[in-house]
Amino acid sequence: MSATGPALPPPDALTAPFWEECRRGVLAIAACADCGHRFLPPGPCCPRCWSRRLAVQEACGRGRVETFAVYRRTYHPALPAPYVVALIALDEGPRLISNVVGCAAAEVAVGMPVAVRFEKAGDRVLPRFAPAGDQGGAS
Amino acid sequence: MIAGVGHTAFGRLAPRTAWHLEAEAAAAAVADAGLRPADVDGLLTDPGPAQGILDGITPHFLRLGAQLGLDPDYVGSEILGGAGSVAVVGRAALAVEAGLCDVCLCVYGDSPLATPRSFEYGRGDEAVFGFFGAVGLHALAARRHMHRYGTRPEHLGEVAIAARAHAARTPHAEKRRPLTMAEYLASEPVVEPLRKLDCCLVSDGAAAVVVTTEERARDLRARPVRILGQGQAHSLSTYASPEHFERLPAARCGPKTLARAGLGPGDLDVVLLYDCFTIVVLLQLEDYGFCAAGESGPFVAGGRIAPGGSLCVNPSGGLLAEGYGGGMLHVIEAVRQLRGEAGERQKADAATALVSGHGLGMNTHATLVLGR
Ligand SMILES: [Zn+2]
Repeated sequence: MSATGPALPPPDALTAPFWEECRRGVLAIAACADCGHRFLPPGPCCPRCWSRRLAVQEACGRGRVETFAVYRRTYHPALPAPYVVALIALDEGPRLISNVVGCAAAEVAVGMPVAVRFEKAGDRVLPRFAPAGDQGGAS
Repeated sequence: MIAGVGHTAFGRLAPRTAWHLEAEAAAAAVADAGLRPADVDGLLTDPGPAQGILDGITPHFLRLGAQLGLDPDYVGSEILGGAGSVAVVGRAALAVEAGLCDVCLCVYGDSPLATPRSFEYGRGDEAVFGFFGAVGLHALAARRHMHRYGTRPEHLGEVAIAARAHAARTPHAEKRRPLTMAEYLASEPVVEPLRKLDCCLVSDGAAAVVVTTEERARDLRARPVRILGQGQAHSLSTYASPEHFERLPAARCGPKTLARAGLGPGDLDVVLLYDCFTIVVLLQLEDYGFCAAGESGPFVAGGRIAPGGSLCVNPSGGLLAEGYGGGMLHVIEAVRQLRGEAGERQKADAATALVSGHGLGMNTHATLVLGR
């Protein structure tokens, strides 16, 4: 990774299955088999009822931008500024940090509907989000 | 009771390491109390982020204790980010009250300027999306506040300008030159909506406080400062709700801690709010009840928290202008104000003070209420 800077943190045992699903173009969310709570990031138990009976569901991939930030400074050579980091609330309820792509930073707004778009980045496939209606770019 | 305080200069202090700085601050605090090193029988530490990365956080008290030649009855290091200093002082008060030790030394220190990029760490899996540094996280909070309440960049600017105006009256502060709104607005964007001048300083330095029993404090050199109440609240579920970016856990421990001290927000003479970013000051003004939710922007307009304003917030300049003291400098400024030793910036007849600490991924919060 020396050409692109220090290695980014690798997935751990709990999150590796999430990233494997991304590789197949699936946005996977954890679901509790006991109380039905759906959540991200995946963990060892349901954060609501502590059940260890967990399942994986495929999210529809749509959501909304709840808040966002525009990076004007480059922190990692593989991720040159400017870029948008956002908190995305999925239609199913869980939230995740991701990027908004497919539009200018100035066009991103809180409340904006977005849809997932899988993009290859280094050795991972990342679930990024584009303004809903822009369905291009799925891998 | 807080019986002694001490700190180093803050700024670029290489080749001195955090250990050198912590030893200096420890000696200053113990001397300020009129005690000797052999009197110290408790050691609690708040290692700064760079020191944690370089040296490992777990053995921090171990290595510092060895360097100070201590064999104490009570030790620990807190890993609460910016809430750590306030938390260790609170923990020291509990320890001496329980009789676990008599003289507890609380030490914060760091030398991040010797450790480039130590404040720019990525957060686990989120680093792959470029989510680096505490500034990105707080930018999400600032955006949310702007969207929900119409808060403007000028409101954040008021916080930065007030900090500099206070620091102008603080001889040891790093940034003593006053700031204008035009300069603030022209400040380089880092992670929008936050500018460089919304971000605290990154400083080498150390600060220490001595906590002891009421009985022991009575006979010591300095006028003791009483710990009237303490509390903590944490939000570890993080993104489970967008509330994470709107209300800090301070909204829970703030009112409770004030109630334990028998005070309300209107009874506080001096308020030391953790100010890693300007937005955090606005959020805490709401969370602690100085103004209603969403109204902190208009609240700070017109210099209300600047020198001479109606609410005395961070009279030494805080992390934004005095220096990055981890939160221990906030405790020390409260003590100086309550002792009447704050010189040109002294708040007249200051009898009560609140000190807050806020840290990690906006996850941790600690509060102290102090009185004389
Ligand atoms: Zn459950």
